[in-house]
Amino acid sequence: MASTPANTAAAPVEVTPPPEANLLIHLSTVSPEALEPALANLALAFPGLPLTVAVPDIAPNLTATNSFNTFQLFPYTPAATSTTSWILTAADYFNTFKLAQERNAPACLLLGAESHTMSPESIRNLGAAALSNSDLAVAHYHPRPHEGLLNSAIFYPVTRALFCARPRFPLALDLGLSLRMAERLATVAQRFTAANQEDALIWPVSEAAVAGFPITEADIPHRTAPQPAATDLNALLGQIAGSLFSDVESKAPFWQRARATVPARTITAVPGPTEPLNVTSMLESFHLAYSNLHEIWALVLPPHTLLGLKRLSVMPQEAFRMADNLWTRIVYDFILAYRLRTINRGHLLGALTPLYLAWVASHLILVHSGIPAERHIEELAIAFETDKPYLVSRWRWPDRFNP
Amino acid sequence: MKKAGSASNPLWYKDAILYELHVRTFQDSNGDGIGDLPGLISRLDYLQDLGVTCLWLLPFFPSPLKDDGYDIADYTSVNPTYGTIDDFKRFLGEAHKRDMQVLIELVINHTSDQHPWFKAARQAPPDSPERDFYVWSNTDQLYKGVPIIFSDTEKSNWTWDDTAKAFYWHRFFSHQPDLNFDNPAVMDEVLKAMRFWLDLGVDGLRLDAIPYLVERDGTTCESLPETHAIIRRLRAAIDAEYTNRFTLAEANQWPPEVRPYFGNGDECHMAFHFPLMPRIYMALRQEDRLPITDIMAQTPAIPDSCQWGLFLRNHDELTLEMVTSDERDYMYFAYSADPRMRVNSGIRRRLAPLLDNNRQRIQLLNSLLLSFPGTPILYYGDEIGMGDNIYLGDRNAVRTPMQWNSDRNAGFSTANPARLSFPVVMDPVYGYQAVNVESELADQSSLLHWMRNMIALRKLFQVFGRGTLEFLNPENRKILAYVRHYDPTSPSREATPIGEKRNVTSPGTETILCVANLSRFAQPVSLDLSEFTGMTPVEMLGYVPFPRITDQPYPLTLAPYSFFWLELQVTPENLPSSQ
Repeated sequence: MASTPANTAAAPVEVTPPPEANLLIHLSTVSPEALEPALANLALAFPGLPLTVAVPDIAPNLTATNSFNTFQLFPYTPAATSTTSWILTAADYFNTFKLAQERNAPACLLLGAESHTMSPESIRNLGAAALSNSDLAVAHYHPRPHEGLLNSAIFYPVTRALFCARPRFPLALDLGLSLRMAERLATVAQRFTAANQEDALIWPVSEAAVAGFPITEADIPHRTAPQPAATDLNALLGQIAGSLFSDVESKAPFWQRARATVPARTITAVPGPTEPLNVTSMLESFHLAYSNLHEIWALVLPPHTLLGLKRLSVMPQEAFRMADNLWTRIVYDFILAYRLRTINRGHLLGALTPLYLAWVASHLILVHSGIPAERHIEELAIAFETDKPYLVSRWRWPDRFNP
Repeated sequence: MKKAGSASNPLWYKDAILYELHVRTFQDSNGDGIGDLPGLISRLDYLQDLGVTCLWLLPFFPSPLKDDGYDIADYTSVNPTYGTIDDFKRFLGEAHKRDMQVLIELVINHTSDQHPWFKAARQAPPDSPERDFYVWSNTDQLYKGVPIIFSDTEKSNWTWDDTAKAFYWHRFFSHQPDLNFDNPAVMDEVLKAMRFWLDLGVDGLRLDAIPYLVERDGTTCESLPETHAIIRRLRAAIDAEYTNRFTLAEANQWPPEVRPYFGNGDECHMAFHFPLMPRIYMALRQEDRLPITDIMAQTPAIPDSCQWGLFLRNHDELTLEMVTSDERDYMYFAYSADPRMRVNSGIRRRLAPLLDNNRQRIQLLNSLLLSFPGTPILYYGDEIGMGDNIYLGDRNAVRTPMQWNSDRNAGFSTANPARLSFPVVMDPVYGYQAVNVESELADQSSLLHWMRNMIALRKLFQVFGRGTLEFLNPENRKILAYVRHYDPTSPSREATPIGEKRNVTSPGTETILCVANLSRFAQPVSLDLSEFTGMTPVEMLGYVPFPRITDQPYPLTLAPYSFFWLELQVTPENLPSSQ
């Protein structure tokens, strides 16, 4: 992700790692050509610190690392393998714990694909957070206004509202884990790997919240995000939102009673977007879906929301604005329909895609009008928090006869 | 090969929702008119969707079926009309795959007179090892005065056997001779049978008729120390060889007499609370909470690893053995106007007909079932408000086929209706055309949907299965109000303080106020909630916050037969911040 000096609400962790700390760093996905720059960055991040760097056994030159002689480079054969490399999967969590356990590491960093693009300072931040009193340190990136919008629209506000957890990127690519956090994630991962679902996603923030483990964020201003193999938005949304909705379902006893408040983030002024506004195709998708998918939406959404969508469908592009509370209700009702299996889950998530595109269009139009993207995301997250009782009440009494 | 239990938490049975069903009447898969295991497997998705977490199967073993399977002729196989042992293994696997545990019957007090052990015993000479498997006597005067349980059909607990030329002892029907637990070989065989099912991965065993295992002259032959010693041996074998299994005692006794069946946590994990059930019906009809609060006051504390099994109805009659004779007469007048509704010492009716099919009353009683301290047990069909057939003999009135839809035979079987093991209910109110799963699934306002929502809600809170109970004493006795409280950090239920000393604000604690109106009219009530001053009651079904509690009496008004479950929450401005 490119750098924008925008949201700095993630307080930099000041803790300095003790020199004797034996930090395990797991580069779960690293290409042979990226290995050397990745190791160079690690050397700069933790000069003189005893480290074990675990790398999948991918290249014959893995032993040629004498220039980083404070490292103990540890090529390993993964206990579980995943075909997905652009995001952390069950296999990554499983392998991380195995490695940490074998190496007797008190804490570890799990760095995802393209981690060599992070600055040494960022890696140091994450390492310090991992060795602090937190069990889970989550990377806080600074995406540009057009980037990471699935996270901003759904994953972040849902995770924050339901699990009362602050991390802006609940599915971050780079994490710091205490040994017990790694073990917990591995236990969850094992359920998937045992069923040959090594590519399954796991939600570390909600796991930590349920376990009552302290969570912190570490600022990572610069990082290139790996691109998903599938460029089809439907497939992507189906995979990630489906995983999140399943996670929400399985943790219902916890989040229905989690009521702590998350302090508001401080939003600093940032330059507006430089890219030209182009939301025409998104709005076309929404309008087309409004004609074709209305019957499916009517199975999922209550009349008040359907009325809101009808109004949205006739708005001109320049005034197109999806209210935060409308999007909140849409997401909450889709989560509920996912739990109730109102329709086939694949079709259900497919029906969410054009609504998401409408939200993206609305968000980008807003941002191009001068509203800072992060401020809008923050307002949206607050709307999700405010309306959480709606989800709780509908979850407990999913009567379709509601407003 | 021994299979592990499916539950991961050793106390899982405390949080469970049990569902009692009979393979014979649940779903027929091969069109022979009799339910079977493949049929049951085909309905597991329905049960999972309902939210129940443990299936209790009535006996499915080879049997002459003179007592609906409780007359067992072979302990370690499956009645061929229900399927095969492989079908059972498949059922077990499919249930476990859906996160449902399985409870089966261990009927060890007696066998069928068709069991090979009894056939050999009556042929064998007196004092031979074969004869010694059962309790024999040359006279029927031994154990004089021991009550006859099936008094409608049996005149004595002894029956003369012409082949053996001796009397044999039976606490139940004469075709169910009691095993002789004074013979160590009997215990060895019982342990073998128990291990057979536990090795397959069965999660729980219901110990049928457990008080009657041992006989001694001059006693009532019930709950003798020797009987408890046998239970402890069974439990020790389970604890030594298996993990996360449980036993459920059927001991139809007063609470203080049931208490020994828990031992020091070394006998049964669970026991039915028999006396509570009729008193719930009595309190409802009398519109007075006293019968309930009175029996709960007589209920002793039980070891922390133990649990009461609660139910509104089951496969037997609504038993009135644990009430006084006046109370029994009242119950007969109140709930069984037609003498055909009575059998033995009880009433052979289902939940919905008992309550005149009043939806509010059905919901109210289920709300008590789901919120009282213990594990709730639902009887199949009651979740859709099925009726009964009092023209069928014995307790078969409440054992008619499950009503799945309005097709032939209620969707239970494709057989010729005349071939069904029991006819389906066909009356205009409760008949399968009017009451069935399919129509209730399609009706968002149905009892089935209500039950499903309530079960899901209960499962969100461990307090119902694990917490303490304390009754409030409002002046209006038509109102039953009680506080359930659970503190997961407390070392035990007994160690959890009640009243003002309890911790109700720490994270993880759950405190719920339940208020029920037993009356057919709206009722006002003022509750002393001063202990919870500053907290906010949140109505749990709709997540609606009520006015904050002060040190003044807390007023509530309840519609006829309505109830509130109110979670007492720390008021929002007093909440801590997250990370």
